[in-house]
Amino acid sequence: MKKWTPLLVFLFILFFAFPPMAPAQVQTRVRVIEASNVGSVIDPSLRDLHGQLGSLFRYTSYRLLRDERINLSPNQPASVPVHQGRSIEITQVGLQANMAELRVRIKRDGADLLNTQVRLSPGRTVLIGGPKHGEGVVILALSASF
Amino acid sequence: MKDSCSSTSQLLERYFDRQATDEERSLVERHLPLCQTCHERLRVLEGLRKAIKTPVDEALKEETFPWVWEKIEREIRLGKKPSWQESVRSWIDLSPLFRKKVWIPAMAAAIILILVTSPLLFFKKDPSYSERSVVEYVESGVYNVMVYESENAKVTVIWLFEGPQNESPAS
Repeated sequence: MKKWTPLLVFLFILFFAFPPMAPAQVQTRVRVIEASNVGSVIDPSLRDLHGQLGSLFRYTSYRLLRDERINLSPNQPASVPVHQGRSIEITQVGLQANMAELRVRIKRDGADLLNTQVRLSPGRTVLIGGPKHGEGVVILALSASF
Repeated sequence: MKDSCSSTSQLLERYFDRQATDEERSLVERHLPLCQTCHERLRVLEGLRKAIKTPVDEALKEETFPWVWEKIEREIRLGKKPSWQESVRSWIDLSPLFRKKVWIPAMAAAIILILVTSPLLFFKKDPSYSERSVVEYVESGVYNVMVYESENAKVTVIWLFEGPQNESPAS
């Protein structure tokens, strides 16, 4: 046992000197929401976002059009169709202990309509909205867990 | 009987001193009840022992050997106090930690690791606004873009305004 003591001490120091590696994959949730002033329906699936949406926008109705969960590997883009020929492409470009860096592209016919990069920590949501859809607008809600 | 008494009397002192063999002891013990002379000699020997042993035992009980403690204290007083260098050296020599050569590289590696990682652990500067910001960059050739970051609500909004440079009305 005594001869292993220095090795154990060395490993103990290594463990505290370098924090554990973050998991490589990031589970991302993409929700496509139609927000409008037609009616006052809140989709039950959006209950967790209702407070945020209500404090930020003046729409009365929020309807969930699509709900996708994607496991993102580093530098592997994943695409989700959004609406009216548009798609959202998400790529994990970085991952730290409590933050994932995601590149987000909204495309139509292969051309970028929007190109952005965001840092997402678990529990944080990024809403991308504005384009008209039906009687209202479309809002994309991005969140991540890892 | 006389021969027996003669031979037994020779054994009597060995018997008294408990140095006789089993056979000799048996011989003496068989002879003693039969011989008054030998019996008397044994009683004389026992009386002699008692006369010598009793005062010696009493003297030992009263003696505290003060001279022994005086000698020990004198030795302690005369003992030379080691210098601090000698104390350190003796501690190092005695310490099993330093006797094991394998500790030296382990301690060196630990010190290097601490020196390398301590700036990272203890001197972290506060992240700048751009480092804290959720949106690192945003580009659009089609929309006017507004970014709103709410720390309390843990939500960030990227709002796209359809302006004069709007995408073609294919949608």
